[in-house]
Amino acid sequence: MRISIREQMWNIAILGLVVVLTFWRGNQLPIFGSYEIKTILLGIVPIALLAMGQSLIIIGGGINLAIGAEAILINCITAKYSEGTSFITSLKWAIIGILIAALIGATTGWIISKSGIADIVVTLATSFVLIGLALFVQPGPGGGVNIDFAQTFSGKGDSFIAPLLVLFLPILLIWLPLQRSRIGISFYAIGSSKDAAFLSGVNVSRTRILLYAFGGIFAGLCGVALTAITQAASPFAVISNTATLNSVAAAVLGGVSLAGGVGGLFGPALASLVLYYIPTIMLGYGIDPAYSQIIQGALTVLVVLIGGLLRARNKR
Amino acid sequence: MKSLLFKNRSMVALWLILAITFVITGIVDSYFFSIPSIGITLQLAAPLGLLAAAQTIVMLTGGIDLSLAMIATGAAYIVSVKSNEGLSTALLYALLFCIVIGAVNGIAIGLFGVNPLIMTLSMGAILIGVFTVGVSTFLRGSSRMPDILVTLSSGLIIDPITWPLVIWIIVGGLVHLSLTRTGFGRVIYSIGDNAKAARLAGIKVWHVQVAAYISCAILGGFAGIMLGGQSGAVAISLANSYLLPSVAAVVIGGTSIMGGMGSYSGSVMGALILSVLSYLLATLNSSEAFKQLVYGGIVLALAWVYSSISERK
Repeated sequence: MRISIREQMWNIAILGLVVVLTFWRGNQLPIFGSYEIKTILLGIVPIALLAMGQSLIIIGGGINLAIGAEAILINCITAKYSEGTSFITSLKWAIIGILIAALIGATTGWIISKSGIADIVVTLATSFVLIGLALFVQPGPGGGVNIDFAQTFSGKGDSFIAPLLVLFLPILLIWLPLQRSRIGISFYAIGSSKDAAFLSGVNVSRTRILLYAFGGIFAGLCGVALTAITQAASPFAVISNTATLNSVAAAVLGGVSLAGGVGGLFGPALASLVLYYIPTIMLGYGIDPAYSQIIQGALTVLVVLIGGLLRARNKR
Repeated sequence: MKSLLFKNRSMVALWLILAITFVITGIVDSYFFSIPSIGITLQLAAPLGLLAAAQTIVMLTGGIDLSLAMIATGAAYIVSVKSNEGLSTALLYALLFCIVIGAVNGIAIGLFGVNPLIMTLSMGAILIGVFTVGVSTFLRGSSRMPDILVTLSSGLIIDPITWPLVIWIIVGGLVHLSLTRTGFGRVIYSIGDNAKAARLAGIKVWHVQVAAYISCAILGGFAGIMLGGQSGAVAISLANSYLLPSVAAVVIGGTSIMGGMGSYSGSVMGALILSVLSYLLATLNSSEAFKQLVYGGIVLALAWVYSSISERK
């Protein structure tokens, strides 16, 4: 697959921004060691995983406004059934959770294909259903997880290796092989043009079901990561809405075009670092974190605007 | 002729769905068939109906406004805080706020080509930030609504006619007329149907989009003030729970999210159906989990039924 230079330019620019912000944050802290890196990584792992799932779906020409709710549901399921259990049981429930998320994703994709209703509408509605299910499983905050299992994800002591792996293994093990496979290429194909893909022999509805299922796997991973990091379930619609908003913002900042068919998952993962740093750095200065929402919103619009202007100039 | 037939068929389907939910609600709760409770249902449907009008206008142009809930909340908040400077000043401030936000949305989407979903999602986030900060700084003050607005939002004229219902009928009627009988309405449909063709026909597409988003924001402000009046005081989460219903009412009412197709009368039916539905869910006295589950499920099912009816034209 050809990788366009401009796409990589964008990733490099985001990487530059991340480096600048990291130094900035590092300056705020009295010491910047292994433990601080671990804290930062634990902060971004859920955002990044969700952003990857959302980006994948946007690349395939869809959008999932229920992705946050999906993650919260898996968070509730795994935290409820892993409380006070052995390592193996916790792991079993984590795997079951991810499978459920994939199934939910596949169902969403199936509904969209079968009904012909727009992605936005279907996923707005399913977000309600999924939050309802999450409240059904876990009516309030609670639950827990095996401590060894949690530490496998979030790292023992000061070591930041485990969260780093949690962040990059999905890219290495799921995204890179997927991107090179027939399925991955057909994701890009239906994202660019459903009609052209259909005429080239791509089974559009089956591809879309797979697309949402893979998005669901990332949402499931996010839910399991939330369980491992917070060691509790938090069934709140507010959290899921903010998470969904962040996932779209990270996708856009990470160079994924909302028109579909353009972008990768590495950019959004980096962009979620930016989204994590903005409120954290502001809090470090004692500024109301509400300002960071203003900046984040403005930044997202600005990026889309610049992207649009660049595309318009290139066309001329 | 065929399109007329199709339009009638979908309207008939909407009436049927409304009748079915109405009867089921009546069976579950016999008090529902009384005049006062119908009055209350209509009163609660009014703000949703206005939000649906706002959403219908932008969705007909092929857009969507996900900042609508925050625009509504913001307008209500401004009115409540500025009401010590006089009611008309307060309303003027709120109007100005709606025009500015609508214009920013419209210019970014129409002139700079920002995706409507991203623009309005981000605008919603920005407004949440602005008002969260504002509550403790530049917008400090009473969050109580002025009495006259409370009366206009929930006052009874004669059972079951309430002031908000009258306002909804007047404003909604104006929206319906301007969409069906005026040039503004026609250009809105035409740019939603095919923006390129509209541009070639000499329509300044971005002007129309800016006008659409401004009207949307003003209608949202209206609805927000009404919601504020109904609850007596304004909180930052005032209209949040109305965002999905505003989109759902329009979609159930048969307006295509791609634009160019649909009507406000459909959205009114959608708003009524959803209002009866929330009454039903409220009387079932069920858990929050069950309510969310059923609400989302039914919205999806109704949208599905509707789209399958329209496919069989």
